[in-house]
Amino acid sequence: MPQLSRREFASLAATTAAPFVFGQRAAAAIAAQDVIDRIKKNLGSEWKPDTVDGVKAGDPSIVLKGIVTTSMATLDVLQRAVKADANMVITAQPTFYSRTDAQAPPPPRGGGPADAVAEPDRVFAAKAEFIKKNNLLVFRFSEHWRLRQPDPLARGIAESLGWTRYQSSNDPLRFDLPALTLEALAASVKKNLESRGGIRVIGDPRTNVRRVGLLPGTTPIQASLKMLPNVDAIVAGEVREWETAEYARDKVFAGVGKGLILVGRVVSEEPGMKVCADWLKTFVTEAPVRHIPAGDPYWRPAS
Amino acid sequence: MTAGEVVDRIKKNLGVPWRDTTYRDTFKSGGPDTLVRGIATTVFVSLEVIERAGAAGLNMIIPHEDTFWNDRDDTTIVSADPLYKTKVDLLKKYDIVIFRMHDHMHAQRPDFTYVGSARAIGLESRYETAPGSHRFVIPETTLGQLAADVQKRSGARALRVVGNPNARVSRIQLGVGYATPPVHSAEIDVVISGEQQETDGTLDSPAYVLDAMTLGITKGWIMLGHAVSEEAGMLEMADWIKGFVPEVPVQLVKAGEPLWAPR
Repeated sequence: MPQLSRREFASLAATTAAPFVFGQRAAAAIAAQDVIDRIKKNLGSEWKPDTVDGVKAGDPSIVLKGIVTTSMATLDVLQRAVKADANMVITAQPTFYSRTDAQAPPPPRGGGPADAVAEPDRVFAAKAEFIKKNNLLVFRFSEHWRLRQPDPLARGIAESLGWTRYQSSNDPLRFDLPALTLEALAASVKKNLESRGGIRVIGDPRTNVRRVGLLPGTTPIQASLKMLPNVDAIVAGEVREWETAEYARDKVFAGVGKGLILVGRVVSEEPGMKVCADWLKTFVTEAPVRHIPAGDPYWRPAS
Repeated sequence: MTAGEVVDRIKKNLGVPWRDTTYRDTFKSGGPDTLVRGIATTVFVSLEVIERAGAAGLNMIIPHEDTFWNDRDDTTIVSADPLYKTKVDLLKKYDIVIFRMHDHMHAQRPDFTYVGSARAIGLESRYETAPGSHRFVIPETTLGQLAADVQKRSGARALRVVGNPNARVSRIQLGVGYATPPVHSAEIDVVISGEQQETDGTLDSPAYVLDAMTLGITKGWIMLGHAVSEEAGMLEMADWIKGFVPEVPVQLVKAGEPLWAPR
């Protein structure tokens, strides 16, 4: 992933019509908390208390320098954000490797003595330290973001794939493409979503597909049961293999379904976070906003 | 002999008490009175497995995983889908009885899923730190070389890896199915397992390994996929059943890997 130089970032910032020269202290400085407040105000739905969303690390009162959105706030993304002089990171996935975002690993299964002091974990500690040292604010924005209509995650994928004009008028998650083989579809998805080794497919590579449905993120069997009768193939983030993967395998064997393409959850939610950056720009003009992709976590040995 | 008699012998030979509270290890098609002409073990009862078992005259299928695309085999979720009827009709056509062996297969010692997976990917027992530890200390290699070796031996087309391919590794923890050992343990360089939710779990392996890699800390994660991870052990399961069911043929009917990887 090419790193954006400071100059490139400044020129990008200039295009956002920020009322100050990037790098200088803005006259109308706002805090990260102000961004959070504006997100809640512009969301279009009530902010709910019991979700994974919210501040995960840092002090929301910091003076905002710049915002980075990403599918996953990996340490690499945080480092690139700091290099780009941003201090607020908005992530779709957890920061500390679990749904709870606790800044320590879970206790070992089976447990040890109740008073045993766990060794501090080097990876958790280094990430927390990096956030603290650079005075970053990390905000998770996932459940609320995907509640917006039309689905910004699907919109992001469609834009990345150049499919916007093929969107079905009946179903915003369905795209009626010029016919292509499942293999060609998979190759196009791999290239345009910048997938490396994370993409996996079920179905005959030579079969023709036309109607494609999108299921970003992690979805249960019910989502595919609902969608598959109306499409030839689904492009999804992740599914449980004992559910939807086996269902797709049987569907293909029965000759009534054509394909399932899995790109992984992180990759599937990345274009939606690019859309999120564009959305933030509509009500945050005091500081630059940009998207930094986390990239596909996976690779595969050359065979 | 009947399917009920086969199940009674499984329970008798298991070596651990049968827990009747299991919702997994029950009949999913047919019942104890079905007459058994042959037994097929497999990881998933796919339509193709039913066809091949039925054609081979094996009308009792013992799978490790679910039949109707959800763990509880709750048919109310899927019964409105035409594919459900297709599957039920095919099971009827071959008079097939299905009895799942999941919880008790993992409770059994040894757990054949681990035995089979270690065999399939070439983790020799002489490298295991203690029987049943599922921890292997192999001669030092790179993560890239290890992954290539695992792929070649297992034949897993859609295997996925996270971590620095040049990292030097030797300490491997093997997991199976959806049971992924915690990758952060200081005792482990690499976790090899079947399937894990990518994020929002209790310890998200891909994110953790990516950050460890950024910090230069040796960690790797190799995911075989659920079917590849647990299918091999169904060969051990077939061999074990043969030992106390000599009356009918018993064999593995492979479901195989459903996934492939585009170039």
